[in-house]
Amino acid sequence: MEILKLEDVGYRYKDAPKDKYVFKNINYGFEQGKMYAIRGKSGSGKTTLLSLITGLEKCTEGKVIYDGKDLRKMNLDRYRNTDIGIVFQSYNLLPGLTAIENIILSMDVSHVKVKNKKEKALELMKSVGLTEEHANRKILKLSGGEQQRIAIARSLSYQPKIIIADEPTGNLDKDTENDILKIFKHLAKKENKCVIIVTHSQNVCDEVDVIYELGKN
Amino acid sequence: MYILKNSLISIIRNKGRNILIGIIILAIAASSTVTLAILNTANNLVKNYEEAHDIIATIAFNREQLSQKFQGGEDARKSNIEAFNNIEAFTLDDVKKYGESEYLKDYYYQYATSLNSDTLTKATDSFEYEVEDRQTTTSSSSTTTGGNADMGKGPGGMQGGERHTITNNNTTTVITKSKEIFQSARNLTGDFELDGYSSYDAMNDFVSGTYQIQEGEMFTDFSALECVVSSELATLNNITVGSTITLKNPNTQATYDFIVKGIYKDNSTNSEDSAKMYSPSANKIITGSGVIENLVAQDSTLVTNITPYFILKNEEAIEPFSAELKEKGLNEYYAVSTNLEELETATQSIENVKTFATTFLIITLIIASIVLFVINMINIRERKYEIGVFRTIGVSKFKLTIQFVLELLIVSIIMLCIGAICGAFLAKPIGNSLLQNEITASQEANEKISNNFGKGQDGHMGGPMEPRGTIQVEKIDKIEAIVDFTVIAELLGIGILLTIISSLAAMISIQRFSPLTILKERT
Repeated sequence: MEILKLEDVGYRYKDAPKDKYVFKNINYGFEQGKMYAIRGKSGSGKTTLLSLITGLEKCTEGKVIYDGKDLRKMNLDRYRNTDIGIVFQSYNLLPGLTAIENIILSMDVSHVKVKNKKEKALELMKSVGLTEEHANRKILKLSGGEQQRIAIARSLSYQPKIIIADEPTGNLDKDTENDILKIFKHLAKKENKCVIIVTHSQNVCDEVDVIYELGKN
Repeated sequence: MYILKNSLISIIRNKGRNILIGIIILAIAASSTVTLAILNTANNLVKNYEEAHDIIATIAFNREQLSQKFQGGEDARKSNIEAFNNIEAFTLDDVKKYGESEYLKDYYYQYATSLNSDTLTKATDSFEYEVEDRQTTTSSSSTTTGGNADMGKGPGGMQGGERHTITNNNTTTVITKSKEIFQSARNLTGDFELDGYSSYDAMNDFVSGTYQIQEGEMFTDFSALECVVSSELATLNNITVGSTITLKNPNTQATYDFIVKGIYKDNSTNSEDSAKMYSPSANKIITGSGVIENLVAQDSTLVTNITPYFILKNEEAIEPFSAELKEKGLNEYYAVSTNLEELETATQSIENVKTFATTFLIITLIIASIVLFVINMINIRERKYEIGVFRTIGVSKFKLTIQFVLELLIVSIIMLCIGAICGAFLAKPIGNSLLQNEITASQEANEKISNNFGKGQDGHMGGPMEPRGTIQVEKIDKIEAIVDFTVIAELLGIGILLTIISSLAAMISIQRFSPLTILKERT
């Protein structure tokens, strides 16, 4: 059962000529419990596709279907803070907050009903290999790998069915990359998440179940 | 709830920026408090003045209307005077009828007549004496002798006299006795003017200070045979407070004994009267209108003159009240006139202070709005990344806008409170210096009116006859309460308005920003 489906999706920038598409006729399907990689050369539209899946941009053609519902008819803010977790290459954490505050903020936004948010946040941090000691550090006091783990923990804070990551290991060393990939694999296989990784890393592609190659339809 | 929490965290996190915004809002709040306090006090002063000084209408003779019907030439004099005599004057009953109007708060009147007296010497610069003229005629010759008393003859005139003829043998003597008036070049009337007032309000000369009680005080019973007399008449006739004076009806010869309750001084300095020995009020005896009404009830032939004063509810009542009087039968030769122009002139200086304060407030707010808007724009540009992150984790544009507005609102409210306190301290000296002259003038006017009635500085007239000028003016002897709830409420209103205007930058930017673009730029 596909949790996410792209049907004839095409995208063109607003100021671009009518026939100048970034991509066209994309038909991808994504299931829970599997890891996916979306691969492509620079400029092939990987990040643009991610923004269509996360509802940050709208398709020029076709539609994105989540759990049987057309994304265009959904509350996209609600979709982003409940159904899909996003992990960025540059982490996109709030530097003014501590690690744990970033995770709790995400819980607040998604209105997760948890008795003790702090406890839950610490639990999530442990699940991505961080200790309580990291919790109260400001984001900028953490390493890249630690920040990426916090970003993953944040995306898991409201238990979404899909985790989508944009070049999550792009800024990390080999060992850290492997650690992060293990976390994603665990989420897909053990926690039945649909994990989509936008990447051009072969190492990542080697670990996933399905690879979609942009620009090679 | 998390929006408020985020706002508070953000305020603390961005201390520098918020201190800068806070200082600007503090300056705006302090200057706005001073301005609003001045405006508020000025409004109160104008309101008090308007309450204390009613719009008073009276009925004036429309001479212009009459002159249009005048005819020219020597022969037309009689018909012109007849035309004037034929104009029907209004009576006391008419005045009472006019006074029953929905447009009026109250009304009062001055009712005047004139009486004589056998016991009082009239204050005048002329007097009358008797002269005798004898003409003796003999059968053969005729001589005429004329004799006058030893008095010097001033510019006066003979009046018609008695003629007696004595015949003795061949001599016939015709004796003509006549009265001659010794007077100045300007003749005067010979009666005592008795002015009856229906209330203290009607006593305009006392309210304005033209007349002032020197001894005793104003009577309180407006129907009793009590009066106040001029100091000149009192001196001439040795009248003191408590004396009884007797006046006589010139028609019926009935006499009335008045108890003198006070002696007033006429402070008027009319250049036209400089050639006269006594002031115009010398023979004026002031009493209550009820006294005159009783006299008229006893003798309807007494010539009276009535001056009504109608206190209008507001400015808008002038026109309908005038129309109502016409409907009620006021003769076309009479018109309603008011003191509106005088009132407006009197409040002009305070209105100027209000205009200045309003202009200053508007300019302050415009400049403040622009400065805050620019600071907010810069702030938003600095926080684009934060906006992008919030949007990607699913915070709606609306909630994000609320958070940004809330941040500014919290800073604004704190600084408005501090600014209001600073403004309260500044408002007193500034407000006092601007308004002190007005306050002093107002107080002096009240004290003067009280003095004019012989009641002293803190005197109260008592009873329903207390003049409006003394009871309705709320005494403003200090501006302690200048920053009151009204000012605080207005200040908060301005603060919220400014916050919303300056937050427009945040609102518009948040609507326009694409989160992905922001995050890409950051990357």
